[in-house]
Amino acid sequence: MPRSNYQHQIVNPTSSPHRRIKILRNVVFIAFAIIAVRLFFIQIIEHNYWITKAEKEHTILETVTARRGEIYMMDHDEPVAIVLNQTTYQIIIDPSVTNKDEVKQALETYAKDYIVVDFDEIYNQEGLRYSIVAKNVPRNIIETLNEQDLTAVWFKKTNQRVYPEGQLASVLLGFVNADGVGQYGVEGALNPVLAGKDGLIKSTADVNKVALSIGNDNIKIPAEDGRNLVLSIDRGLEQGVEEITKKHIDNTAATHASALVMDPNTGEIIAMANLPNYDPANYGNVTDASAYLNQVTEVPYEPASICKSFAFSSAINEGVMSADTTYFNQGYEIIDGWKIQNAEQRASLYGTINMKTALYWSLNTGSIYALKLLGGDPNQINQAGREKLYDYYHNKFRLDHLSGIELPEVEGIIPDPNEGWGRDSVYANMTFGQNLNITMLQTATAYSAVINGGTYHTPTIVKGELVNGEVAPLENTTESTEKIDNKILSDETSATMRDMFINNRNYKARAGIDRAGYAIGGKSGTAQVIKNGAYDDTMSETVGSYIGFVGPNGELPKYVIMVKMLGEGQYLDGGIASNLFDDIENYLIDYLKIKPGA
Amino acid sequence: MKTRKHKSDLVILFATLGLMALGLIIIYAIGPMRANVLNNTYGTDYPSSYFFLGQLRAVGLSLIAFFAAFKWIPYQYIKKYAKPIMIIALILSGLLWFLSMIGSSLAKCELGECRWYQLGPISFQPAEFLKLAMVIYLGDFLSRKREEGCIGKWREFWVPLLIVCGVSLFLVVIAQGDLGTGVALISIIFGMLLIAGVPAKQYLFMVALVLIVAVGAVATSSHRMERVNAWITTLSGGESSDSTYHVENAMLAIGTGGLAGVGIGNSVQATGYLPESINDSVFAIMGETFGFIGLFLILVVFAAILVRMLKVAEGTKDTEGRLVVVGIFAWTLAQVTVNIMAMTSLVPVTGITLPLLSYGGTSMVFIAFALGLVLQLSCYTSREVITNENISSGGRLGGAHHTSRRRSS
Repeated sequence: MPRSNYQHQIVNPTSSPHRRIKILRNVVFIAFAIIAVRLFFIQIIEHNYWITKAEKEHTILETVTARRGEIYMMDHDEPVAIVLNQTTYQIIIDPSVTNKDEVKQALETYAKDYIVVDFDEIYNQEGLRYSIVAKNVPRNIIETLNEQDLTAVWFKKTNQRVYPEGQLASVLLGFVNADGVGQYGVEGALNPVLAGKDGLIKSTADVNKVALSIGNDNIKIPAEDGRNLVLSIDRGLEQGVEEITKKHIDNTAATHASALVMDPNTGEIIAMANLPNYDPANYGNVTDASAYLNQVTEVPYEPASICKSFAFSSAINEGVMSADTTYFNQGYEIIDGWKIQNAEQRASLYGTINMKTALYWSLNTGSIYALKLLGGDPNQINQAGREKLYDYYHNKFRLDHLSGIELPEVEGIIPDPNEGWGRDSVYANMTFGQNLNITMLQTATAYSAVINGGTYHTPTIVKGELVNGEVAPLENTTESTEKIDNKILSDETSATMRDMFINNRNYKARAGIDRAGYAIGGKSGTAQVIKNGAYDDTMSETVGSYIGFVGPNGELPKYVIMVKMLGEGQYLDGGIASNLFDDIENYLIDYLKIKPGA
Repeated sequence: MKTRKHKSDLVILFATLGLMALGLIIIYAIGPMRANVLNNTYGTDYPSSYFFLGQLRAVGLSLIAFFAAFKWIPYQYIKKYAKPIMIIALILSGLLWFLSMIGSSLAKCELGECRWYQLGPISFQPAEFLKLAMVIYLGDFLSRKREEGCIGKWREFWVPLLIVCGVSLFLVVIAQGDLGTGVALISIIFGMLLIAGVPAKQYLFMVALVLIVAVGAVATSSHRMERVNAWITTLSGGESSDSTYHVENAMLAIGTGGLAGVGIGNSVQATGYLPESINDSVFAIMGETFGFIGLFLILVVFAAILVRMLKVAEGTKDTEGRLVVVGIFAWTLAQVTVNIMAMTSLVPVTGITLPLLSYGGTSMVFIAFALGLVLQLSCYTSREVITNENISSGGRLGGAHHTSRRRSS
């Protein structure tokens, strides 16, 4: 290689290869130094910032749905399933990744009935990466969809309620909505017990939100399954009571009827019919939400003359009255300027009659007389009498209290004895069940105390929980209220009242409706309906009620039955309701094989 | 002038092999995640070993290319074909452009850019070949012009040079939309021009000219402007958007790595969050996996390769050989720094692979071949650094345990 060829290059030292290579070396050092400093900044100084950010982006919190507890009723002594679970699926998509048309078409082809979103809407939402598009999808549809090999579509297991007994006791049971939350009835009131406690998976996930085993902070809290509830309701009895009640709706002007059967000695409810029922599996088809309401616990009303049971027993328990106490019945009373009449105006009743007769004919003047006696003045209602009656209604019979049953319920209204205008007339009305507002359950629970020897028991619908096939007491729930067992009336008062109630049904016994060997008593009630702020004296619409008890002769009553019948614009009195009572009472004796007493 | 053959540069040799092995390890760890993400997202059906086997194949081919250039094909032989090689490279790129315009299935396009030939299962990126061809061609061209004393002359030097470089850049940047390769080509050209002894004023003028053209090219392209805006947004901590997603997730990967990293197989960002996790973004995944310590060591290895290349260049007596080494240096430097700087938001994302580590066949094969060439040339260095080409000295680079004698002609 001849030197001279490029000798002219040498004279310029800045262009010498060595110097220029040195420049390149410096470029390397500078570039790498900048990079190293940058990396130090990102990885060491900003490390925590990026860790926090990563946690936000990488972590998924997934709820592990607890299995909802099932609901059982009793079949005599054996629990039987009434509400069961079935596994269904939710379909979830990532709208930003998924093939929009393909997914929409597949879902509309195979799972149309279960779609809960408008696809156009979610596809237009920017940045949406997660959307539940269908719910309660059965497994076979999921299997079909799985074969379609759809991208960015996931299926999540959920529980759905199934009802092997169809519509039986649907109002009592309530339903579970699409979000898995119990609504109305047992499902609503005992939702926390039935729902259990969802578990949680906190996990690092990939970009498709699939959990990874990578990461140190992954948490798994297992779900606490809901408890299997056993109701005190007897399935066969419930079925029979519902059938009988339905028949009475069909054969009368009533559009709605409710029937309640309880054990007065424990407060246990063994049948609670609310008709018409609805289909809990298709609860959404119900057009009027009032169909979900339990007439027994959620709809207060005026039970009318049934309340004479409470006025009479209050006066008797106070020792100011007995069944043989007499008063002068002139067919009406004028109180605070209001004329209060008896419904029964037959001439033979005018004059001096005893309380037994007054209760038999359900005379309002009789119960007003009891109120007068409670105040210590047979001639007029006074403050002491009102306060006494209030003490019984409010404190002892707890008519306006929440009963404490494991169902949605409302409080009743008992007017204050000393406030407001026309207290005497209001309290006079209260003795025969007007001017107050209480539920069937509050009424039946108080009535149970009247006839069971005088003890008030908190009503209950829960027998316990099913553990390994056995019914165990339901404990450690925040839902159970304290059970009350208050002795509020004397044994004698209770016995007197029972005799009078049995006497009330003499005509039924004579007619052969009440069988020999059984102690069956009762009291009817025909409630006027308030229209335009006043009682409708034309009686064009009334609510008929009847309450009574049944048991073998010579024993404390075993069962209290209460029925209520209504229909908008229809006259339904206590007599019509008593017919329903009769049928239930007789069915009860047969179904439960209650043996007659001596 | 001839320098006796001696041992090659062991640093470059082992660093190259080491990086290839590291690349294999990381692809082994994240390849299954990549396959899983693609399968879940696009309904593809990649087996979990797909990417590892792909990388294994690429490494195998690269090793063949590496040792072919290192041991089997003498550089003296290659340089004879500098011009035909360049012509073939330009034709390949030109033909690809043509094929893509007529919509041929031989041209493989992704995201609207047609950069690959697809021949059955084999895909080939001609731009990678063009980089190598550019190095060899410029080595020949510049050394010839130098011998002829034409360096810096307008008609004999700049005009042919500008034509070749202009056509190459047009084919790569405009026709293939491959800004990353464009940056590498410019780096190669300017690296070699610097060493070729272009007068400083002309050199700086050209640098300024290219910068102006580059700014113009970016400003007139909405797609490139978006990347610049995304870069500025990320740097200034602005609102996240689709365009900042890539670099933000790269930084997230690097940032979560901390000092020592999360360990092999524990990368979360590789599970689909970071785009191109096995290709252009593999450095970020390594940052997450190995932490600052790991990345620093990788930087040291790359720096060692680069510095040793310069050492080889310094020791290479033959002008053409030295130019080729510097060209390969500039190529490697551009790929490494632009890739890493993009991942750390120091420059906008351009889409460039990290040599020897990124998943991908063509790019690794050609860079391996180029490094093999450097190693071959490293066997013919003289120890004494020359400041003037007419002074030659004995000695060599690498391996002091046996002597060599200078032979001058």
